[in-house]
Order: sequence, then structure tokens, then C-alpha cells
Amino acid sequence: MKKLFILLAAVAVTGSSCKKMFDIKPEDELDVSDMYRNVYDADAAVIGIYGQFMGLAERYILLNELRGDMLEYTDNADRYLRQLSTHSVTPDNPWASPRPFYEVILNCNDVLKHFAIMHQENKLQDAEYIQRYSDVACMRAFLYLQLGIHYGEVPYVTSPLETVDALKDAGNFPRLSFNVLLDSLISATEALPYKEEYPSGTTLNITVDGYPTNKWFINKRCLLGDLHLWKGNYVQAASWYREVMETGTAGTVNGSYFSMYKLGWDSNGDIDHYIRYSRDGDETSLITNSEWRIMFEQAMNTEGFRREWVWAIPFDHKFKPANPFVKLFSPVGGDYLVKPSQSAIDNWNSQQQRTRSSAPQIPGQPYDARGLFTWREIGGQPVVMKYLYNYLNYNTNLPADILQRSGKWFLFRQTHLHMRFAEAANRTGRHRLAWGLFNSGIGGAYPAPTSNVTDYQNTLFEPYPFNFDARNSGSNGIPYYRSDWYRNIGIRARANLVSLQIPAADSLLQIEDGLINETALENGYEGTRWPDLLRIALRRNDPSFLADKIYEKLQKDGVPGAADARAKLMNQDNWYLPFDL
Amino acid sequence: MTRIFLIIALAMVCGCKKWDDHNAITSEGLKQDLYEQISQDPSLSSFAELLEKSGYAEVIASSKTFTVFAPGNEALATLDPAIVNDPARLKRFVGNHIANQSWFTAPAGKTFNIEMLNGKYLRMQAKTVEDATITTADRYAKNGVIQVVDRMLPALDNTWEALENNTSIPAKQKAYMLSLFRNVFDVTNAEQIGVNPVTGEPIYRPGTDSIRTNIFWRNVHDLRDESRRFTLFVLEDAAWDTEVTKLNPFFVTGTADSTRDLSAWEVVKDFAVDSAYTLQTLPDTLTSVSGVRVPIEKAQIKQTILTSNGVIYVMGKIEVAPERKLLSFRIDAEFYRAQSVDKRGNTFFRDRFNPVTQLAFKDVLVFNHGTSRFNLSYRLQNMYSVKYKVYWVAVNDFQSNNFSQKLGIGTPDATLLDYVTVTPDNYEEVLVGEFTLDAFHPLLDIYLTAANTTNAANSALVCDYIRLEPSFN
Repeated sequence: MKKLFILLAAVAVTGSSCKKMFDIKPEDELDVSDMYRNVYDADAAVIGIYGQFMGLAERYILLNELRGDMLEYTDNADRYLRQLSTHSVTPDNPWASPRPFYEVILNCNDVLKHFAIMHQENKLQDAEYIQRYSDVACMRAFLYLQLGIHYGEVPYVTSPLETVDALKDAGNFPRLSFNVLLDSLISATEALPYKEEYPSGTTLNITVDGYPTNKWFINKRCLLGDLHLWKGNYVQAASWYREVMETGTAGTVNGSYFSMYKLGWDSNGDIDHYIRYSRDGDETSLITNSEWRIMFEQAMNTEGFRREWVWAIPFDHKFKPANPFVKLFSPVGGDYLVKPSQSAIDNWNSQQQRTRSSAPQIPGQPYDARGLFTWREIGGQPVVMKYLYNYLNYNTNLPADILQRSGKWFLFRQTHLHMRFAEAANRTGRHRLAWGLFNSGIGGAYPAPTSNVTDYQNTLFEPYPFNFDARNSGSNGIPYYRSDWYRNIGIRARANLVSLQIPAADSLLQIEDGLINETALENGYEGTRWPDLLRIALRRNDPSFLADKIYEKLQKDGVPGAADARAKLMNQDNWYLPFDL
Repeated sequence: MTRIFLIIALAMVCGCKKWDDHNAITSEGLKQDLYEQISQDPSLSSFAELLEKSGYAEVIASSKTFTVFAPGNEALATLDPAIVNDPARLKRFVGNHIANQSWFTAPAGKTFNIEMLNGKYLRMQAKTVEDATITTADRYAKNGVIQVVDRMLPALDNTWEALENNTSIPAKQKAYMLSLFRNVFDVTNAEQIGVNPVTGEPIYRPGTDSIRTNIFWRNVHDLRDESRRFTLFVLEDAAWDTEVTKLNPFFVTGTADSTRDLSAWEVVKDFAVDSAYTLQTLPDTLTSVSGVRVPIEKAQIKQTILTSNGVIYVMGKIEVAPERKLLSFRIDAEFYRAQSVDKRGNTFFRDRFNPVTQLAFKDVLVFNHGTSRFNLSYRLQNMYSVKYKVYWVAVNDFQSNNFSQKLGIGTPDATLLDYVTVTPDNYEEVLVGEFTLDAFHPLLDIYLTAANTTNAANSALVCDYIRLEPSFN
């Protein structure tokens, strides 16, 4: 009533200028008609999507890790976080809402629509169009994959909508089952014309504030590999992963050629990312300011970061959005809402490191030193450290500046790549190759009995993508021979752990178990634990694979309701969150 | 919308009077401060007089908040006039009835430890405070609350003051405890007058760099601390002599006096614990700060002295066998004091797991040091004159051949103990040997010595821990 009156008065006052008044564009906001004028506007739209995507970082970690068996809530956590951990989520739980995902998805749809219009109007050239279109479409597919993982059945919308509320009309937007959703995502993503990263020199592949932007954007081949792996198309999955693994295999034959995404050594601690003791056997000589830990701290423009990481997005105190991980993980300047679970800690502590090779032949330390770097005690409390190394000083556990909360959102690195390739290879019957990739490398899995390596250290008898050549003639072998994969050392060897022993019988499931567990040890808290458990449980149609691990976590942490959670997860319907927009 | 506003406004106009009523002070007590209330209550007139005389009347009339535990006139009838006539004692006495903040009676089961204005603490539980009963509870005043009690709350000495002042404390143990005052280095009040040019350490003006303190306060319990609660046992003189004499053989020194001093300390250091046990709650065995288990026979309690921070029991006898008193010494081998030659580059600190004890442990290995009779040294303090059985855990899990190492008592090559062979993969405690100390050693150096060879495999040194167990047979 009042509003109407004011409006009438305003109309009366402004009188005849009525038409003009309604045509004036707002001064402090960009009108949609001015938004998409040239390729730089298109780049701004892409950056805008990723900026909004960064707002999902906290949710991504909580959903993918707290629902799994490695992360536990602390006494500081509210009931909603507790619900995630105990799988007793109520519909009012803000973490369970799919709405934030759809907000980004609808923006992707909107941007894609406008890219098409720009292309029609020749504001974008063909190449510019397909690069940006493919990127945003892949981002959308990634978000849908996340939705599928956590909600099972979701509406699949590719047309632009004004608001998320429009989705509530189930008649217009039927929910697809996870399996059907995967089909849609695979066909849509496979059809995308461009699968490289942005060409260097364009505004989307430059270095900004010391951050090379090419690592910010989703790797389309990894996404395709993931989609096929979820679907069970193992050869296609492995093919896509293999393409990424060969990223470095081009141009000059140098360290990068042999090690980038190949899990190869380069005799440089900042690049190798080993677990290494400056004197094997002396636990006080564990290298902490380089090697394995440093991959989480080193700058994104370093060579070590470039060769290890496939996808990571920086949070910097100099730009928004703010880093959510300090709040989540840190007892220093943060809220300390989550901590490593006891069962995760026990897992690291039940590994065995390699025996020192020279006298004295000291048996390896009886734990996985990656655990020491993944979490540590600060003030008597166990703290997940991976995300805090740009904020807390490793030696003092104190922030350089409590208000400067830089960090990174870790999404994908070469160990994910190798582990998932191995998972696919294992399922196609290539057990030894799979075992080698996560234990002692291809050369280690197919060792040469003499310096004659002609028929060893390779899988060239296999078809692509399973044909690796890791031959290495040694220093005296004739002819001198160094193949593309000769430096591949395997994930457990890199972490100084003994290889996993697999009995001959039933190696498929045991290697798969080993792979999933190795991902936990190596990539813990990087946002893949729950999806890994879910994928295997779905594939084997075995709810206990998932339910038992969650039960063990809750029980070891003394959280009430462990048995209830197990009983619930034994029913596949309860693996998913309530879908409530 | 407007209509709703009007209705609310009307309602407010009508309600104004009622609102005033609601806000009005209904309890007359709230108009008066604590002192006014007490002085106007004829049944509390004696206490009001004491408040006036001690100067606390002004304090509790101030704008801060207090709780006053006011004894009735009958309760104060028996007050010793000596206290009334001594201003200092009177202040201490009255201050023991007043606390900062308002303390209200609570349901049974909850105990408040309340600091009084004289610095002592009283315990209030439901409607009792110490042994007095609150007869009129929770009387409000403008600046606090009055709890009328049926007994006065005398300001007791604390445990240390009682030890000094109470005439019924047996003389010998008391004399020994009072003899323990020492000057101890402490820079809190030190005045720095220079810097040592060689070491860079500060130089303090003589006399300012120490405090005089009792070593019982520092090493056992500070019995003066009012905020904590203690139980102290004091032996009657004959029993004290018996206990001290019993320990003399383990503290053989050059003079009888110093032996007796050492024995006496060994006896007394286990006689205080940091809880106040009543006769009912006193267990039959207490564990002291140094880990000795002390048997307490209630029948031997000759006298009970209550103090402001606990209780003192005068005991006819407390018999602690030397086997219980003289505990094992344990050396964690990785915490050595020195290496005979700096071989850090050949030293391995190892995280291991012991399958026998099922516990993780950390040990030290020195390998290929290239030094004959290389050794790691350790220092033990206050070693009794007694026979010791020596054990170690030395895990040879790094080579398949045996090697030998020994413990040098006093010097690296002392022959009290022989070389012992370290066999592969033995995680058990191994008896290294026995030796006897004829005299008490305030300090004793012990060396883990490698074989007399430079061969790497034969001269290895490895050890998790060394344990020296006093042996009484």
C-alpha cells in the first residue's frame, strides 16, 4: 500500500519523463545487455563462474570428507556438521542443500547461452568460443557429478533459469538417477570440441600475482576419465587419464618430460615430493622443508607445484573470496571444527617404511610419515594440516600474520591420476600394472633380471592405453636406453613405504582395496574419500564396504550412534543426502 | 498496519502504571546496604560491633558486592576477648566472614570454594559453611547477600603456620622441616649489574639473585597455599627416629649428620599429599608426589589438627619399607648427555615398535663410529648406597651378527659390569649385571660403552632404556 503510494507520487513528480526514467541503466551494476561485448567480457564471465565455484570449497571438503571415514567433527562443531559425520542429516541442514551447486550450474547455463549468442553475433571467434564453452560446460559437468555423488537422483538442467526455485517444479525437471545422469554427462562432455587447457598467452592462461591461471581451470580429460570410471567404462577412463599422464611427454627431453604427471623423480626435493630422511633410519632427519610436505606449501608458480598438481585454486588474502579452510581446520585463528579421525590416524600408524639399504640395515619406521605431514598436534589437539601450510609456519605452528589467510583448494594431482588409472587398469584385468603404479612403479612391477632390459620394464605387449615403456639400461647397459616412463617410481615407493603384498588369488579386489586405502594415505582430506568409498561400494554392490568404514570411524572416535549409522548405510537408499532445494 | 500501531500505543499508555508497579522495589532489604541491614538486626548486634571495630563496616557499605556470613549473637558469645582486643587478629577473624561477590545457597551436592577477604578459603555446601549451619539463608541487600550462621568461622592457621605454631606438633619432624630453609637462585627481584664477557650470561648484584625458601615447598607441596588443600602427616618423635634410622644404611656418607639429613628427607618427602582427607575419606594407602605408596593406619592417628587449607594428622607410626621407598632409576638412552667423540652423523634416533610390550618406543643407535670404546654418557642423581640389578632393552634389528656393549659405572671402562652380548631381535629386558654402591652418590656418571674395536658391525651401540633396580637381598 505504502509502496504503491510512493511509486504514484514519484510518477506524479517525474511526470512526463516517465519513459526515460525506466530506460536508464543502473549506475552501479552491469546490465545484462552490456555484459557480453567481446572476448574479454567472456573471460570475465569464466572467471566469475570460478569465483563463484570457490564459494563451494568448504562445502566440497565437508561433504566429501566429513561424510567419509577420515575426518571427524570436534567439540566446537554444531549439530549440522555432526549430522554429516554420523549420516543422520535432517532436511534443514544447510550443508545438505544442493542449492549452492545449482546456483553455479544455472550461471554456467546462462553464460553458455550468452557465449552462443556472442558467437552468432561474431563477438567471439570460433576458437575463442569453443575454448570457453568447453571449459564452462566441463565445470557444469563436474558440479553435476558432485550432485550425483551426494544426492543420487537430481534434476539435470542445461537451459538457463532465472532462479533455483524454478527447479522445484518436478514436472518440468524430472530427476535423473545417478546412472542416467552419468550417461548424459558423458555424452555431453565427450562431444565438447576442445579438451586442452587455454592457449598460453590468452587472458585465461597467464600469471597473476604469482599464480599461473592455467591450474585454476578444470582438466577436461581428468573429468572425462572420472565420468567413465564412475560409469564403469574402464578402457575409456584409462585412455583419458593416460592422455593427462602424458602431458609432459612433448618437446625437449628433460626433467619435466620424465616426471610431470608421471610420478617420476628429478633429483630435486622441491619437485620429487618424496618422503625422505637425510640419513635413512634416523627419524630426526626426516626432511620437512622440502620433499613431500612442500607440495602443499610451495608457490603455485614453482616447478614442483606445476609437475604435481593438475587442478588447484588459490585463496589469497589479497583477493576474495576469503579462505574458508582456516576457519574449518585451524585452532589458531580459526574455529577448529573438524579434525582427523582416529581410524585415519591408525591407518597411517599401521604402515611400514622401507629398510635402510646400507649397513646398519635399520628396519623402516613403523608408520607412514605422510601422516606426520597430513595432520599434527597443536596444543594437544589433532589438526588437519594440508590446507594450513600457507598460513601456519611449520616450525612454530604460528601464523606469520593471523589476518593473512592464504591457502589453496586442492582438487586434483598426479597421484589421483595414477590411482584412478590403476583402478581402471585393475578392472580390465591388468593387475600387475595397477599394482606397480601405486607400489614400486612400472619398472618395479616388471623388473629386469639383468642389465638386458629389452623384454622387461615395460608393458608394450598391452594395447593403448596400458602400454608403458619404463626401460632403463642402467649406467653400463648397451645400448644406452632411457624410456619415457623409466623414472616412474610408484606412490608407495615415493612415500618410502614397503610395497603392498598381494596374494596371487583374488588379486582384483585386494588391489582395489589397496588402491582406495593408498588414496586415503596419500590424498587424505583432498576431497575424494567419500566418492572413492561410494564408487567402490556401488561397483561391488556391497554396502558393507562403506558402512563398515564409517562404523569404525565413529566407534573409534567415541561418537554415539555408530551402530545406527552402519545399519543405515547398509541400505543403499541412505547413501545420499535428502534433496531439498 | 497503522491500526496495529495504534492498538499497541494505546496498550502502552494504559499499562504505564502497572509497569511502574512491576519495577518497584518490593523487598525492603534491597533498599539498604549490607552494613545497614546487619546493624539494624538486633540478633546480629555483636557482629555489627566487630564490623565497626575492625573497619570492615565501611567496606561492606561500599558499592561493591559481598557475601557476609554473619554469626548470631549467641554464636559470638564465646569469642576469645584476646582476639577482640588485638586489631590484627580481629581483622583476620572478621575478614574470614566476608567474601567478594554474592554467594547464594545451592542444592546439596555442589560445593563452592569461596575466597574470603582475609585470603583464606571456605567451603559452602547447601546450607552449611565449614561446620556452621546457615540459619537464615540468602537475605538480600543492596550490595550483596547475608547468610546468617549459627557458629563463628574462626580464621585457622594454614597447614604450614600450624606446623610452626601449633604446640601439639611433635618436635623432631617439625624441627627437620623447619631446617629446610635455603637460599635458592631466583632472578625475579634480581638486579643485573653486568654481563659476563666470556659466557654472555648476566651478572647479578650479590644478595638480589636468590630468595629464601623452604625446599619442602618447592619439591613436595607449598603448604602455605590457601587456594589448595593438603593432608600432612607428622610422626611422633620415637616413630620418626625409627623411620629415619631404618633408612640410614642407604645414605652412607662421610658424616652421621649428613646421612641423617638425607634419610630424614627421604622419610618426610612422602608425608604430604595435595588433598584434604577427613577421617572418613582417608584411604589406607596414599601415593606421594615422588610416586611412593605410603600405607596409613587410621588406628595410629593420635591427633587431628584442622587447618585453613587442609588437615594435619599426628601419627604414632607410619611404616614404609625401604623396598617401597627406594624406587628404580630409569635412563632413556636417547637422552644422553654427551658422546665421547661427536658422532652425530653416525647416530640414529629410531621410532620402533616393541612386539613384547606392544608399545612404540624410541631408541638410539650409533653405528660405524670408528672409535674404540666409543661411549654415550648419562648422569644419575641421588643414588642410594645399595646393591643394584641393572637391566636394559637393546634391540639389534639392523644386522644378523652379535655385538657387545657394556655399562661403565663411574668411568667408561669401569669393570664393575662386564660386556654383554646383544643378540639379534631381542625385545626383552636383559639383565646386564649387579653392582653395589658403598656410599651415597649425589651424582653418578654412567657410560654405555662400545666394544674395544673400530669394526662397524662389532662396535655398534644400541639402547632403548637402562633400568637400575635397588636390590635388598
